Amino acid sequence: MSPLFERNQLSYPCFASSRSGASLVRGGLAVMVRLLVMGRFLVGVVFGADPELAAANAEARKSYDEKIVPFVETYCSSCHGEKKRKGGVSFQYALRSPGSPAFRKLWRDSAFNVKGEEMPPEEAQKQPSAEERKVFEDCVSGLKFLSPKDPGSFVIRRLTKIEYANTLHDLFGVDPEIARELPDEVAGAGYLNSLSPLLMEQCLTIANDVLHQIVSVEGAPPTPFEQQLFGDPPAAGTDMEPAARKAARLLARRAYRRPPSEAELDVLLQVFALARDHGQSYAGALRLMLKAVLVSPQFLFITPCGETAPEAEIVPLDDYQLASRLSYLLWATMPDPELSNLADEGKLHDPAVLSAQVRRLLGDPRSRALFDGFGAQWLGLDKLAAKTFEGEKFPQMTPAMRRAMYDEARLFFESLIHENRSLITFIDCDYSFLNETLATIYGLEKTVTGPEMRKVQLTDPNRGGILAMPGILATNSFPNRTSPVKRGVWVLEEVLGQQVPPAPPNVPALEKQDKQTVATLTMRQRTELHRTDPVCANCHKILDPIGFGLENFDAIGRWRDQDESGGAIDPAGELPGKLRFGSPSELKRIIAARADDLCRNLTEKMLAYALCRPLEGYDEIVVDQLTATIARDGYRMQTLITEIITSYPFTHRRTKE
Amino acid sequence: MRNNCLINRRTYLRGLGATLALPLLETMGWAESPSQKTFKPPVRLGFMFMPHGVIMDQFWPTNPESFLTAPPPCLESLRGVLDQCLMMKGITGVNPAPFNGAPHALELSTWLTATLPNANRRNTVDIAISADQIAANYVGALTALPSLELATMPQTHKENQEGLHEAYYSHCSFSSPTQALPAETNPRTALKRLFQKQDVKPETRTTADPLERSMLDLVLGGARDLRGKLGQTDRHKLDEYLGSVRSLERRIAAIELRQAEAAKAAAGVTSTKRSGSDSVPIEVIIPEGDRRSDYMRVMCDLTVLAFQTDTTRVSTYIGSTPNGVSYPELGFSDEHHSQTHHNNEPVKVDKISKITSFNISQFAYMIKRMQELREGDGTLLDNCIMMWGSGLEDGNTHTRANLPFIIAGRGGGSINTGRYVASSSGNQGDLLSTLLTCAGIPLDRPIGIATKQLTEIMTNA
Repeated sequence: MSPLFERNQLSYPCFASSRSGASLVRGGLAVMVRLLVMGRFLVGVVFGADPELAAANAEARKSYDEKIVPFVETYCSSCHGEKKRKGGVSFQYALRSPGSPAFRKLWRDSAFNVKGEEMPPEEAQKQPSAEERKVFEDCVSGLKFLSPKDPGSFVIRRLTKIEYANTLHDLFGVDPEIARELPDEVAGAGYLNSLSPLLMEQCLTIANDVLHQIVSVEGAPPTPFEQQLFGDPPAAGTDMEPAARKAARLLARRAYRRPPSEAELDVLLQVFALARDHGQSYAGALRLMLKAVLVSPQFLFITPCGETAPEAEIVPLDDYQLASRLSYLLWATMPDPELSNLADEGKLHDPAVLSAQVRRLLGDPRSRALFDGFGAQWLGLDKLAAKTFEGEKFPQMTPAMRRAMYDEARLFFESLIHENRSLITFIDCDYSFLNETLATIYGLEKTVTGPEMRKVQLTDPNRGGILAMPGILATNSFPNRTSPVKRGVWVLEEVLGQQVPPAPPNVPALEKQDKQTVATLTMRQRTELHRTDPVCANCHKILDPIGFGLENFDAIGRWRDQDESGGAIDPAGELPGKLRFGSPSELKRIIAARADDLCRNLTEKMLAYALCRPLEGYDEIVVDQLTATIARDGYRMQTLITEIITSYPFTHRRTKE
Repeated sequence: MRNNCLINRRTYLRGLGATLALPLLETMGWAESPSQKTFKPPVRLGFMFMPHGVIMDQFWPTNPESFLTAPPPCLESLRGVLDQCLMMKGITGVNPAPFNGAPHALELSTWLTATLPNANRRNTVDIAISADQIAANYVGALTALPSLELATMPQTHKENQEGLHEAYYSHCSFSSPTQALPAETNPRTALKRLFQKQDVKPETRTTADPLERSMLDLVLGGARDLRGKLGQTDRHKLDEYLGSVRSLERRIAAIELRQAEAAKAAAGVTSTKRSGSDSVPIEVIIPEGDRRSDYMRVMCDLTVLAFQTDTTRVSTYIGSTPNGVSYPELGFSDEHHSQTHHNNEPVKVDKISKITSFNISQFAYMIKRMQELREGDGTLLDNCIMMWGSGLEDGNTHTRANLPFIIAGRGGGSINTGRYVASSSGNQGDLLSTLLTCAGIPLDRPIGIATKQLTEIMTNA
């Protein structure tokens, strides 16, 4: 920490007021904590109406006050409190609102570190007993019960760029490329879902482009689309409104993905009348109406059907909203006729019907949207196309190669779903998908020829699965060399779901070490110097063995026995719990054995993606339930996806803040 | 950068017709103060960002005396226009605590807000309206586009250090505490948006539909009905929609007015405010390929053109975001961030210095273009306040005791340029508040952590 921060921190007004007591939580603050917790608790009693949950809540509150707070004060606060924030970690705010979703990861990671005896660090004077460690871990896992039963809000959601483009395609048959100029978006947990003037303007432009493609100009004969949707123009002199209303109803039912209300039709009819008043023909007025539909919130957002009772705090999704939520999740487009019919019939919310639809949608090629939207993001493959590689060193990284790497991961992900395999297959697997381009990375160019991707049985046990997949190894490398640290972090965070704190400021970088002494060392020997520094050692003693275990794969995923310095690669390592391994395949076996962690992590990530929001307190209870169910069913992928879609937060929503 | 962003064809703004040929010279914006006899061009405000800080001894001038004659290496590209620039050392950034572990989310998100994200709602966007948007709220109604937001990289970074929302890593403009404004990354789209100009497929070019605004009015009415039927959380979301449609309506109205004025001018009704010596609008050429310098240059051109034509008076350009950017044309492929933790190792220091010089040279290019353009009695630059800056001083240690920034342009006579103030004292909020004041934007409250105006910036100090 630089002296500057210390100085500023002392003079920062916000901190001056709360730093009166030497101990962080006792006294005034402790009272505040209790009040906050009480507040959450009372809400739970009011609408949770679940005695089991209420009891768990009371228990969590008690153990928080009696166990967690004293533990943190005794063992943690001196380094991770208000004054010191070692590794950027502090309990200062977490102690004020322990149930807050913002600190969920902090609590979980602290429990993990305490359990694994990573924390407090070895040099700390006070060390908790094994018993204390166990109690802390259990209590932290109970913090989720501070949250009332709550599906979270399903804020009316704007269609993403891809969803919008696909929906335009399904509605009008236009090329989805029509929306290419919309900005790309951030998806997944913390999905932005905002609408800016810029975006609105682009939507209007795109609406004009769509119109240009599907309707005729004034006076010209109608296009097939117009014939189908607008019908024959009413005879001259007759009232045009009934025909226009019929067309509006047809159009809005499809474009709004639910039946329009009469009031919504009235608005469209007003647009129709506006154009008529300005002398436009029947068809011309319907064209303006179509444009109005395309810039309406009912088209741009997934909106509920009908009114929300003002007093209802939690409501089930109506069948239309559920159909959209499901269809946009698995297909990234609007519900097809079968889903729409089930919504019309009011059958979709039936769990058996819903599960059957999940299986149907997953069996359709459009379900690749789940990989493009979620899988690619989870595995980091979405970054591969734009990643820089040093051209002289890695001329192999052509666009074709990057595409093949992406497709390998996609086909692999899809095979797990289509064949309903266990998600352990992600780690431990003896097949992959290659073409001749990608086969050169595997050294299989003699057997795999031709540009098409096909399933290939792998005989080398070190290959197979996401840990050894070239696209993923390449994404987690530097432009010119491997990064054991990046790879280690990736496995911990993205595969096992464990948070790795960012390197502290002033981190001593690899290259800082005297050039002459490191020049002859292998990457491993150099990186191991990290672990001689206690500041770094805590994290690196887990990260590095994983990263080194994968050092046989170069920066673009080719097998090698020597690294750049010419030294032999030693993949052997040991992970906490005395788990030793001597090769990538043995490392994979150790990671695959952590099926519960993998399952929980994937469930969490996919649930957050499905809900389009970060997970909050009650969600953790849901994840517990889902994880248990999925595990009982052999960790199968379709079970995981079906469980998420039929879960309470996916099928319900909170209407109040 | 994807290649398809850059349409492989030259794009001309020349001969586009009256919309462009006269823009700046008249119409509504210029009639703000009827009492004012002599025409005074408006002040434009522009921001350009680079992440990760600078190499201090390559960036800060040695002393005020040598500032103009012997600038530090990173400012070499500004030689020749340094008399139009102002530098100050001693302006501190917002204290990062309690977000010490997220320096790069903060360096961008606090840059124009001078405010920390809300620590209790860190997993959602909750910060403050940014200085550029405060300005846009005041002067935006006078131009076809309230403000222009540009960026070089897609704003899709995903990182949540300290539990902070990922939008903080890629956005610096916030139209409200809870809404991050996306920036345009495609120069062709930006060009089209600025000037309603489609450079491809002329057959699809549509003229403004005269009924579009009335149609939007009706849709807006329907959206209000819908709002009444929604739950509380949904209403906030729909408010964003309502605001966006209203802004779109305003924009169409401004364009219509422009077109009417242009038609009048074409019919020979000349404006009294028009200055015959004003330069003709510059030409923007959208480059082929994906060289970063070409790309940044065209974004700078767009800013110049937007200002020159008075299409907007506020622009923000995130020249580079804090993540994943590399500069192959400088002869190395390392990512910017990876080199910032250099620990004074010469090779890395040199790379950071080169990256900084590169970014500043893009800014210098923009400034020089502005200086070449005549406007009223002076140059376009005379009527601009352009700020280039970084959100950290030292990327190695994540500190920001002295925020690095360069102000260029005299702000219509409000800014005293050609100087280096070696020991100033103030903070980021003070700086932003002062710049807005110089641009003639009245403030009803200080920006972020501001406590005062930095009078040494101003000419009358």
